[in-house]
Amino acid sequence: MEDKKLFSSMADIQNFCLNVLCQVYIPFSRPFYIEPTNIVNVNDVIQRVSDHASAMNKRIHYYSRLTAPADKALIAPDHVVPAPEECYVYSPLGSAYKLQSYTEGYGKNTSLVTIFMIWNTMMGTSILSIPWGIKQAGFTTGMIVIILMGLLTLYCCYRVVKSRAMISSVDTTTWEYPDVCRYYFGSFGQWSSLLFSLVSLIGAMIVYWVLMSNFLFNTGKFIFNFIHHINDTDAVPGTNDSNPVICPSASSSNHPDNGSMIFYANDTGLQQFEKWWNKSKTVPFYLIGLLLPLLNFKSPSFFSKFNILGTVSVLYLIFLVTFKAFHLGFHLEFHWFLPTEFFVPEIRFQFPQLTGVLTLAFFIHNCIITLLKNNKNQENNVRDLSIAYMLVTLTYLYIGVLVFASFPSPPLSKDCIEQNFLDNFPSSDILSFIARIFLLFQMMTVYPLLGYLARVQLLGHIFGDIYPSIFHVLILNLVIVGAGVIMACFYPNIGGIIRYSGAACGLAFVFIYPSLIYMISLYQEERLTWPKFIFHVFIIILGLANLVVQFFM
Amino acid sequence: MEESDSEKKMEKENVGSRMDPPIGEPEGSLGWVLPNTAMKKKVLLMGKSGSGKTSMRSIIFANYIARDTRRLGATILDRLHSLQINSSLSTYSLVDSVGNTKTFDVEHSHVRFLGNLVLNLWDCGGQDTFMENYFTSQRDNIFRNVEVLIYVFDVESRELEKDMHYYQSCLEAILQNSPDAKIFCLVHKMDLVQEDQRDLIFKEREEDLRRLSRPLECSCFRTSIWDETLYKAWSSIVYQLIPNVQQLEMNLRNFAEIIEADEVLLFERATFLVISHYQCKEQRDAHRFEKISNIIKQFKLSCSKLAASFQSMEVRNSNFAAFIDIFTSNTYVMVVMSDPSIPSAATLINIRNARKHFEKLERVDGPKQCLLMR
Repeated sequence: MEDKKLFSSMADIQNFCLNVLCQVYIPFSRPFYIEPTNIVNVNDVIQRVSDHASAMNKRIHYYSRLTAPADKALIAPDHVVPAPEECYVYSPLGSAYKLQSYTEGYGKNTSLVTIFMIWNTMMGTSILSIPWGIKQAGFTTGMIVIILMGLLTLYCCYRVVKSRAMISSVDTTTWEYPDVCRYYFGSFGQWSSLLFSLVSLIGAMIVYWVLMSNFLFNTGKFIFNFIHHINDTDAVPGTNDSNPVICPSASSSNHPDNGSMIFYANDTGLQQFEKWWNKSKTVPFYLIGLLLPLLNFKSPSFFSKFNILGTVSVLYLIFLVTFKAFHLGFHLEFHWFLPTEFFVPEIRFQFPQLTGVLTLAFFIHNCIITLLKNNKNQENNVRDLSIAYMLVTLTYLYIGVLVFASFPSPPLSKDCIEQNFLDNFPSSDILSFIARIFLLFQMMTVYPLLGYLARVQLLGHIFGDIYPSIFHVLILNLVIVGAGVIMACFYPNIGGIIRYSGAACGLAFVFIYPSLIYMISLYQEERLTWPKFIFHVFIIILGLANLVVQFFM
Repeated sequence: MEESDSEKKMEKENVGSRMDPPIGEPEGSLGWVLPNTAMKKKVLLMGKSGSGKTSMRSIIFANYIARDTRRLGATILDRLHSLQINSSLSTYSLVDSVGNTKTFDVEHSHVRFLGNLVLNLWDCGGQDTFMENYFTSQRDNIFRNVEVLIYVFDVESRELEKDMHYYQSCLEAILQNSPDAKIFCLVHKMDLVQEDQRDLIFKEREEDLRRLSRPLECSCFRTSIWDETLYKAWSSIVYQLIPNVQQLEMNLRNFAEIIEADEVLLFERATFLVISHYQCKEQRDAHRFEKISNIIKQFKLSCSKLAASFQSMEVRNSNFAAFIDIFTSNTYVMVVMSDPSIPSAATLINIRNARKHFEKLERVDGPKQCLLMR
């Protein structure tokens, strides 16, 4: 070792002699020897490990030798082991790694971040259908239904969050809601929760495809018209304005051609364009070339970087709606039960269509546990969840009410409000063009993420491997994309798709499972009282009614 | 099975002549009789079932716990099904027809402690009639020749009245049979109490226990296996059991100064509890005694798995040299030298010479006073 240089030669000889003596004195054995380069200098001022921690470490090592591994008597309890932030994994060669904070209650997100994440995840494309939903339900009824649905889904979400706390016998720290369902209902619970989760995912993906085709079509049309200086809003009934609001469904009932709004007999260039750029006949297929490759990626983490686009889109939509409302003014008249030429009654019997849409709009129950896990102060979970739901309700109300109220009713009927309210603006409208571009990009980045989630859940449960082979994945993607294309061609009514899939998967995750699991756990603890029982059965009946009624409207 | 074999071999280090537990003709209400125990001095480790005595013993004495130590409820005499003898630990287990087991220690636990002390572990105040009867019938035998009574209280226990009642009956038995015994009370499992309340709760208990123990004197400690308090408590107990500890410390200091050591520690052989130590300058780590003890006990356990036994250790680097070696018949010594230029052989020769001196020291003090005598 380096210190030998400091020894005098006399000391060296003495050392040598005594070492020989040692060999005789001590039974010969090779000492355990660590390379000098690997030894950390003990005199370093920075103390790497506190005395308390190293004592505890030794204690735990020693105690683990005293019993068989299965014996729990000498396993360190949680209140004794330091927090994961204070744990380091030590390599014998001197370096230390910090443990990733993994356990519950040690999340890093402040309340604000958690609330924002919940709001961001819930804000989906169903926001585009809210004005239509309000129109279907009637203005007053619509507002009341939105608030009530918000409260109801909030309560069910609260039940989901609290469901793990009722299970005391098993360690539930890594569980998501499908695991809780499996615990209570066995493999039926697991498979049914998987099925309903897939329904919501695939429903969302179909809606995305329809919307993407729509936006791509409009974007392409805008660009084409912009380049060729064509103004084509004359044939469509709309307001007389520089930035008109149009009523496409009225025109399409007059013109059987689905998708071609105008035709100039002499302009074959435009006709060619119209032939090759058709909202329901060709554009959905062009998207395949763009998106199918993206779906086959093994890990879509690249796309999660674009998460911010979603927030920007929603904020832009809010801005757009405010601007348009400011521009168009309010047009509200209150007729309670009978429709008039331009207005719809305040109370309509098609309000279940709105509840169907809202079930998907307020749906976050399958991932709320994961979102709340990283909350720094776990005791604020319920409060943060309620605040997030309140903000979501306000956002939906704001957009829905403003679009509905500002829809120019004297020239156009409120019935014209489309299932995608952006459709009420022509493709030449600059502001909505920007909105469409934002949304198009956002959806193109979220679509592979949704595909990944569907793939993980379906293939993971059936084959046990989330990427069994390129063929399995390709077939699954073709099925999903095919469904999207078919819907885009033949049934591009996103309001309809949203309400059917929302009511279906909401039935399980929002209404039945939380209530049923709560009742079962109370029954097991013998705390189930009649009022609670009746209330939760009522919720289940509401959920069933929600689904059944969708088919009659 | 291999473990118990090698543990026996390890035990041979401690024991002079090994005595097999003689199972004589059954007698008394349950058919057990304890062999004559007039000669051995005992350390009684008592407490309610589940208060942590077996874990404590296992940790302090580095005994491998071969079975689940949780007591599983009462056994009733007529359901006695099988008897198992774990002779390395000299424990008797009774298994009833449902599979509940009850382990208890009988005489001739082969773990020697501080020379000629033998550790006996008793569940005191269990719910079952079997133990109650056995206890009552063998009371005199159990409490005779007791040198030390260590009574363990579970701080989380909900039946304080009952605990005190059983404690008092043990004290009565001690007063009758071994009035000179030293009494120690351990308030155990303190880690389950909130940190800011620990001192308060311990003070309350201590007052109660002192009051109840009159006319006997008891020393109280608060302990938990998850911090250094257990080791410190047992070290204090050992410290109080050695009559000539001041003289020992003086001699250790002389020894350390002669050989120019930074620190010299004297450990008890079976438990590696620090009996006395000398340090020539302030050391940074207050937990070092417990850590060394745990490291060596862990090493001993590993050695025993290979049917080897631990004898001595030398650790060297450019900053220090440390030697752990057998010292007297009941102690180990650890010498820490911060001058690594001194060759190991020199220190080892010094230790060998000092050994003779310390053994003489032990014998000089006479059989009655010194516990470290063979």
